[in-house]
Formats: sequence, structure tokens, C-alpha cells
Amino acid sequence: MSVRYAPVGWNRNKIIYDVVVLAAAVAYILLYIKIAPGFQDVTKPTSGAILRAQAFGTCAFLMLTFILCIGPLTRLDARFLPLLYNRRHFGVITCAIAFTHATHVVSIYYSFSPLNKYVAVLASNTSYDRFLGFPFETFGIFALFLLLVLAATSHDFWLRFLTPPIWKAIHISVYVAYAAIVCHVALGSLQSKQSPLLAVIVGLSVVMVTGLHLVAGRIERQKDRNTAESAEESTDEAPWVVAGDVESVPDGRGIVVPLEDGERVAVFRYGDKLSALANVCAHQNGPLGEGRIMDGCVTCPWHGFHYRPEDGCAPPPFTEKVATYRLKLDGRRILLDPRPNEPGTYVEPVRVAPPSVTEA
Amino acid sequence: MAGRARDPGFFVGYLNSVPRPLAIFLVVGAAVLVGGMAGLAFALGTNVNDPGDGTFARKLGKQEMSGILLEKPYPILRVRPDAKNPEARTVMLTVPGKRSVKRRGRKLFDQLVDVKGFMFQRGDIDMLQVQGKNSLKAVEVAEGEAPPEFTPAPAESLGRWRLIGEICDSKCHLGAMRPGDGLAHKACANLCISSGAPPIFVTAEEGAVEGETFLLMADQDGGPLPDHFGDYVAILIQLEGEVERLDDLLVFKVDIDAAKVF
Repeated sequence: MSVRYAPVGWNRNKIIYDVVVLAAAVAYILLYIKIAPGFQDVTKPTSGAILRAQAFGTCAFLMLTFILCIGPLTRLDARFLPLLYNRRHFGVITCAIAFTHATHVVSIYYSFSPLNKYVAVLASNTSYDRFLGFPFETFGIFALFLLLVLAATSHDFWLRFLTPPIWKAIHISVYVAYAAIVCHVALGSLQSKQSPLLAVIVGLSVVMVTGLHLVAGRIERQKDRNTAESAEESTDEAPWVVAGDVESVPDGRGIVVPLEDGERVAVFRYGDKLSALANVCAHQNGPLGEGRIMDGCVTCPWHGFHYRPEDGCAPPPFTEKVATYRLKLDGRRILLDPRPNEPGTYVEPVRVAPPSVTEA
Repeated sequence: MAGRARDPGFFVGYLNSVPRPLAIFLVVGAAVLVGGMAGLAFALGTNVNDPGDGTFARKLGKQEMSGILLEKPYPILRVRPDAKNPEARTVMLTVPGKRSVKRRGRKLFDQLVDVKGFMFQRGDIDMLQVQGKNSLKAVEVAEGEAPPEFTPAPAESLGRWRLIGEICDSKCHLGAMRPGDGLAHKACANLCISSGAPPIFVTAEEGAVEGETFLLMADQDGGPLPDHFGDYVAILIQLEGEVERLDDLLVFKVDIDAAKVF
């Protein structure tokens, strides 16, 4: 959390994260251009500039594949959550590598002619009316443009300036960029390769990205259904809905309650108190209900943003706020008023008997 | 949480401490990421197409030759045999960069010229990159001496051929780039050809025409290809046309619009 904008709020974990990502990228590129050529079965070696363009291009594609898998992986296994923490740096590094690929390509294929090299990129191949020979570079340019926009707006300043919904809507276009890159590779490099390896890797990438998202989505829906079924027992006390049993909320943690309108509410228990907040973090829409109570605050599992459970406000000097919800008890059942309060509205916590302690 | 065997601990990025089970998982994950990327780099970096034996033969040194400079279909030199190279031959010409010889040779076409430069070679086909000061000039005749005479052999028709292959730009395919073919190289090939590099037809079957794989391309009338040639570059196509022999160089005269795309 930060109230003052700095280029990067470095900490040890961010440094380790970036070092690992850079190590993976450097290892990939060095192996591709320095070691692998010694093992190629070729009459004469591939031109160095083309080899570098290939290395940076394939590296960016693989890194983008990994980035897109992080989200659904965190839904399948919470141990992947730390990968989300600094995912934006991963994205910026990927964008830089994709940009390097593009500069290599422009300097090899489009320079040294009477035509301006950037004009040549668009003018050299105009076979838009056919599949084979389609100017696949167009997809690459489009994808690079999107990646540059995402990298340029990745800082929290832009998140605040654009507001989280708009920022998120812009950044979801990373999937469009990925689709464009798949088309770029499929209509370009794949058509020229004699070895099926690249085709297999691209295919696996598409299967992994779409498959993980589908599986994670299915599990999410199943979780919602299970929660809804466990709270199926209705109440006549309109507009209250049953959120679950007191025992279903572990101390220091929360449960996520899906509402009929598609919203989700995070119900937290901390000691003998229960409070309910919107499940969506004001920072990057992280799932608050999967967070923990730390230092008396609900802590987002994505970037550690804090909110007081009673009023949904980040503790001073921070200013983020989320909506709160009213709770009440019906015996051991937790009832939730599904109408959200204005973000930051104080709601008196519901008191429950503390968890029973059994001594051995 | 239901279905989760063990709590790995809760990670908060700005707190430097990471729960031990999670730290172990992340260290293993980081090793898998770096190792996986390295493995993929090796696999992809070694599985490349053989770009052939095309090369910029600078090690041969600067070549000097004289002959008749022809403009069509693309700048070529009908080389005058001499003591060093007694066989008549025809060499495609280029200049450094993606540019044409036409500008430098515009006043010299159909004349006997002296040319200097470096060779591109691939298999038994080659190309001269005209390079350096005064590297393309009319043959100088000493005062009082008769101008040298040289009449190249007339073109020999080899009949009509139907060939399957790919249109490439000669310069890249002969070694300016490796690989200098395929769809990944299409835009570059288009740019090279439109900038003046002679296009060649590379037959899918090696040595398809009288043992030759590379044929200089021309339109049906022996002129350069029409402007929309680019639609057919770098893809597998079938073309039909007359093949002519100019010394050791074959010329494939085609109607590009009749190309059959596979």
C-alpha cells in the first residue's frame, strides 16, 4: 500500500521476483543465441540478427503465456498467489522483450531500402485478401501496441487516475494481445517451420491458457453453488439472506457469499465479531474474502491492501474504501442484508460466542 | 478451506517474511521457471530450418569482371570470358542494401562494362554485389586501341515448363540472410524485389530444370514482374512458362497471374 507515488516501491520480495523473471529471460535468450546454434543441424548457421529476433520473440510469447496462467493458477492453488503480487513487473519485462524483438525485425527486414523502414513495415506486404501470405506483422504490431499501453499504464498512478474499473477493462485487453500474438506466430513463423516443435508449443500454450481459465471458472462456479446450497435454507425476514453458519467462518478468515445479482460479499470473523465487506478490493479487484485478518484489518491476498472490517476503510493515511454490509444472527445462522452500504460506512460488528477451545 | 490439505501460509508482499512452506514452494517454482525456459530455449533454438549454404563470400576477395550490362528483366552481367574464367557466364547484380543497380548503371546498359564487387554464392548460382568507388564503369579503352568486342551467346530456349516452388529475392536467398525464404521473410523479400533485387524461382524439387534449382524470373515478355508480384512471394506456387538459358543462368518467363497457389 502506498499513498505517495514512487516509480517502484521496492521491497525484498519484489526484488527477488524481478531477479527470477529476469534470470529466466536472460537464460532463455543466452541459450537460444549462444548455446543452441552449436547444436543445430544446418549447412550454415542462421544469421545472428535473425536468431536474436527469434529468441526475443519466442521468449516474449512464452512469458506472456506464463503471465496469463498465473490468474487461474491462483484460483486452483493459493500457493501461486505470490506470483500475482508483482505480475505487473513481469508484464513490463515481457513488453520490453517483445519490443526488442520488434526492433530487431525492423532493423533486419525493413531497413536499408529507399523506403522509410517504418513505412516499409506496413507497405511491404499488402496481401490482406489471402490466408497464406497474409501480413502477419499486422497482428504483431497490434499486440505490441496493446502491450506498450498496458506497460505504460501499469503503475498505480494510472490505476487511481483511471479508476479501477476502467483500468481493469483496459488491462483485460492483454487477452486480445495474446490472441493477436498467436495469430502473428501462426500465420508467420509457423508457416515456415519444418519442425513441428514450435507448433506444438504454441498449441500447448493456447490449450493451457484457455484450459486453466475454463477449469478455474468451473471451480469458481462450483464453489458459489456449494455456498448457495449450504445457505439454501431461506429466511422469511426479507431482505435478509442466509450467509452460512457461524462455524463455517474460521477465526481470522472469511467466507465468500455469492448474491443473486452476481455480487459477492466477504464475511469475516475476528475473535467474537463478524463483519461483511464487498469481496472486491478497491486496488485491483482482488478477492478480499480469501484474505486474512492481520493487525485487525482484512488483508487482500493479492497485494496486501488493508481494510477495517467494521467500516471497509483502509487505515490512515490510506484512503481506499469498500462497501460494507449489515449482518445479524439467527441462532447460529448468519443473515446478510444484500443491499450494500456506501463504501466506508460503519456497521456495528455482530458478536458471536468465541470459538470453543478444547483442552487436551 | 475445504479441499486444501495444508495451509501454506499467507503471503503479503511488502512483509519481507514468507511462510516457510510457501517459500519452499516458490523456490522450487522459480527453479522450474528458469530451468523450463532454458530447456525450451535449447529445444527451439536447435530445431531450426536449414537455411542452406548461401553466403556473402567476402573471403574470396573483391572480384573484377567485365561484360555486357543488361537491364532486363533485372540487372545482369553477361560476363566476357577471359583467361581466368574461360567459360561464358551470366551473373545477377545487386548493390549494398535493398537497392537496385539500375541507378548506378542507367547510362551503361547494353554496353561493355567493368564491374567490381563481392560475391553472394549458393550452390552453383552466384550474384555480384557491386561495391566501391568506380566499381561500375564503361570499359576503358586506351588511346589508339580498338574497343574490345564481345557478343554474348543468344538466349537458348529450353521450352515450356510447369514448375512448383517459391519466389524469393535473390540477394537474401543467396546469403544476405539465413534463412532468406519462407513466410517469415516474405515482407523482406517483397521489399528487396521492389527495391531492385532480382527475384528468383526456387524449385521445390532440387535441380528440377536441367539440374538447376534457381531461375531468374521475368514476365512473359522478358521484362520485370508486374507490381503485384508480392502476393505470390514466399508461398508454394505452381507457375508455367518458357525457360531460357543465358549461359549458366536460367530465366523463367511467366504470367504471374496464372500462378496456382497451394
